[in-house]
Amino acid sequence: MADDAREARVLGAVVTLVDNLLQDFDVVELLTDLTEQCANLLDVSSAGLLLADARGGLHLMAATSDRTEEIELLQLQADEGPCLDCYATAQPVSIADLSVVGGRWPRFVPAAREAGFASVHAVPMTAAGSALGALGLFGTRPGALNESDLLVARSLAHVASVAIVQGHPPTPETVLPRLRAALASHVVVEQAKGFLRERLDVTVTEAFALLRRYAREHDTHASEVARRLMSEPAARPLIVEAIVRLTAAV
Amino acid sequence: MSIEASLVQALDGGRGADAADRLCEACVALLSVDAAAISLVFDGVNSATLGGSSDEARLFDELQFTFGEGPCLESVATRAPVLALDLGAEVVAGRWPAYGPALLDQGIAGVFAIPVLIAGEYVGALDLFRRQVVALDGQDLSGALVAAELAEMPLLDLIAATEQDPLEPGTPAWTELDKITRDEVSQATGMLVAQLDVDPAQALVRLRAHAYATNRSVTAVARDVLDRRLRLGAG
Repeated sequence: MADDAREARVLGAVVTLVDNLLQDFDVVELLTDLTEQCANLLDVSSAGLLLADARGGLHLMAATSDRTEEIELLQLQADEGPCLDCYATAQPVSIADLSVVGGRWPRFVPAAREAGFASVHAVPMTAAGSALGALGLFGTRPGALNESDLLVARSLAHVASVAIVQGHPPTPETVLPRLRAALASHVVVEQAKGFLRERLDVTVTEAFALLRRYAREHDTHASEVARRLMSEPAARPLIVEAIVRLTAAV
Repeated sequence: MSIEASLVQALDGGRGADAADRLCEACVALLSVDAAAISLVFDGVNSATLGGSSDEARLFDELQFTFGEGPCLESVATRAPVLALDLGAEVVAGRWPAYGPALLDQGIAGVFAIPVLIAGEYVGALDLFRRQVVALDGQDLSGALVAAELAEMPLLDLIAATEQDPLEPGTPAWTELDKITRDEVSQATGMLVAQLDVDPAQALVRLRAHAYATNRSVTAVARDVLDRRLRLGAG
């Protein structure tokens, strides 16, 4: 197979998935798309996807064939299998040859082989370090998944994870104001640290601690206090005075 | 492995600002460029450096913030890549009268900026810097375009982080913002607000003007203000 042509298709798939999820976003459609892209692009015969609910219970969300659906469901029923281990550890689990690992999953392995599978590779879906689910890639021939295939699977899973965590598609209306607000809010807190450093002759670290303490005692957020300090000059004397009292009380 | 696949690999396993740094490092390793940075632009201002191949690369990006001009800002404003193969010639022709010479002083001879988009919106640019004036070959250009496309992924991470958490200190999103924003500049701005009794926007202008006049980066000037080595006069 021409590697360059395949890599170009792979890259195209990443971009397409991102583009798609920016449009009509639907978790089920996205995950169905993800499994189909994997089955088409990678050296595997089918793909399935298990996604965790808020309590950590896994659910089958997508499968590219009936046999795959059955074997994914069997893992859930038997409470064992590479996809479950992958989800539990948030690490990839790669089984190049199912015929030599029968003891590891006594119910899953015979059922998978019966269904015609010889290899399985599970890739975690993660966000912010915690596992959201597992993407199962099933092969009818034994063999390790090559590095670039694994990479593609992880990249695709990553894009899907980001979309799921957000719960909606990133659109200019939803995303940019939020990111802009996050950056602005951060800048203002840093400014307020500098302001207090100057007024109270403390370090920026001490200034930050005072800002947070003031916010806590007034049942508000540090970012809100910072915003008032920096944008409402009339509010400054009272806030600074109250913070001075905090330092005196120590 | 192709350049494109290697760029994809550079992102693998990483998240957010760290992944953006890895992507920039990969640009330097794989393309014929000497430094790379990804900057975020909001309201025409170079707001943050999402990733950089080195401290030097971050400085090259920050100089655009100091001078309020440069290829990254231009590529976002014009919604098109900006390719300045021979920066010296561009400067002679009157382009980037402040940023251009500052970059030449740093030994940079060519600069390219490729827009980074999220959901169809131009939110920043991948900046590539070179020390030699050489033609850009097709492979470098296509690699740069792919890298700019991939920059969307760490940016999506950042967006996801800001969606998940309240915008408050101590949250993971806040830590990410710490990595990419110019904290010393904001802190020094706050000090100037207290010292000069001006509003934050005016204070920032003062800081940038001093950096401009003394040909230094805003961060370097901000550090001096913070450490009380420098006091800007009123007026």
